[in-house]
Amino acid sequence: MLETYPINIWINEERFEKLKAANLADMAVDRLGGMKVIQVQCTEEQKDKILKHFPMAKFDTATTKSIELLPREVKDKIFDIAIKLKSIGPDVIDEFFKSLD
Amino acid sequence: MMDFIGHGGKEIKERILSPGEAKKKIKNLVSVEISGRIARECIDLGYGFFTPLEGFMGKADVDSVCKKMSLTDGTIWPIPIVFDISSQEIKEKGIKVGDTIVLTHTGNPLAILEVEEIFSYDKDEMAQAVLGTTDTKHPGVRMIGRMQDTFIGGKVTLVNKPQFNPPFDRFFYTPRQLRKEFKKRGWVRIVAHQTRNVPHTGHEWLMKGAWFCAHGDAPVIGNKDEIKLGTGVLVNCIIGPKRTGDYIDEAILLAHQALHDGRYFRDDVHMVSITCWDMRYAGPKEAIFHAILRTNLGCTHHMFGRDHAGVGDYYGTYDAHRIFDQLPPGSLKIKPVRVLEWWYCPVCAEVTYSGLCGHTKERQKFSGTLIRSIIKDGVKPTRVIMRPEVFDVVMECAEKYGFGSPFCTEEYLLKRNPVFVVPPLG
Repeated sequence: MLETYPINIWINEERFEKLKAANLADMAVDRLGGMKVIQVQCTEEQKDKILKHFPMAKFDTATTKSIELLPREVKDKIFDIAIKLKSIGPDVIDEFFKSLD
Repeated sequence: MMDFIGHGGKEIKERILSPGEAKKKIKNLVSVEISGRIARECIDLGYGFFTPLEGFMGKADVDSVCKKMSLTDGTIWPIPIVFDISSQEIKEKGIKVGDTIVLTHTGNPLAILEVEEIFSYDKDEMAQAVLGTTDTKHPGVRMIGRMQDTFIGGKVTLVNKPQFNPPFDRFFYTPRQLRKEFKKRGWVRIVAHQTRNVPHTGHEWLMKGAWFCAHGDAPVIGNKDEIKLGTGVLVNCIIGPKRTGDYIDEAILLAHQALHDGRYFRDDVHMVSITCWDMRYAGPKEAIFHAILRTNLGCTHHMFGRDHAGVGDYYGTYDAHRIFDQLPPGSLKIKPVRVLEWWYCPVCAEVTYSGLCGHTKERQKFSGTLIRSIIKDGVKPTRVIMRPEVFDVVMECAEKYGFGSPFCTEEYLLKRNPVFVVPPLG
């Protein structure tokens, strides 16, 4: 199975309401001290593309092996696509890049 | 009697001229405008942060530091402290050995430099020796690469004291001032916490764990509610160049103070200070440099955590712990406190130590990047991850100093109030 790398989208009340409304509250997992997160998975190729496209983002090699520090509006967009597709797989990121074209 | 003995067994001396002397001394001297890094290092040299150095290194010391991690007299020293200048400027200004030049920053005189030696050094060789790489993705390599082609070695004396702006001013102590402050507080053991981060509870426990280590065998003085501890944590925030995405300096500093004000640390065991230094991200070698720096500040212990002063995957997770085993006994006065990880364990339902907690499958590791990501998403961390007082201060700093963001933006980097100014020489 191909290795994937998550984008952590942290869940505040507003995002949690959207998840509940879409019947997707189970998508959120407890990640750190009671913080809820959805983890949208990227393939290696998507990870590199994201990091190239958003130079302020960082791949946390030391601890979490996740893509961090994406702008909030980018994460909002990825979050909305995840809800629309009812998925947290690489298809979300494919759709996200299509929306940029 | 006060102990002002610093690294290498040398007394910490301040090299500062009075305004009257300074005015006379700089008259008719050739002046050179210096970069922010060199200005910060002049301040460090002038106040004795870099004891036993009295100025910028000459070639023999640079070579010795690169090849043997020590000065030519054998004193342990891991990072060259150099004054770089273009050969063109040297030529144009006619600077030669034996001259004294005045160093200006933002147009005002800060220090004088006695030109004892003018030399060149292979910058790739320096990077390889200090950082273990010449990869330009490494920020320390880029810093060395940006240096000019020629170096001047010689003693530095401040001719003008920098003025620190609020909120930094109340956190700036010279090494001699800090030692007096420790004595006033009755601190005999002081453990340094190096930071460039807003503290989450993992950091808080790193400090608390290090305090236990430093205090462990201290005698109990006093009775019941009046136990005198005599051991303190010095949070020493490193102030240097910033990149977009970093926390703003004000948030780092005031968030650490919020732990104090929120009484997560008792008044008599914790204080926050700043030191100006441009991180080289030299991992293990920078750890030794930090140990030297905090020795000069009067600390007896220094906490080193995971990936201390590292970047990317250039160094092993605990290389900065292991390097202390390679030093000759007695070469440092300060004792390293080597700490593994603190993590959040949902089974223990607390922040706990990786060396003790057996729930390795359930553990939830802290990551500074992850916490930044949470804040960037506009989400308030739970109090078990970040104290609410800390989060509130960070967001206040965003409004007050950060143009709406707790992270450095282009706007912040362009318009921020400087940490210090060099005033005109009155």
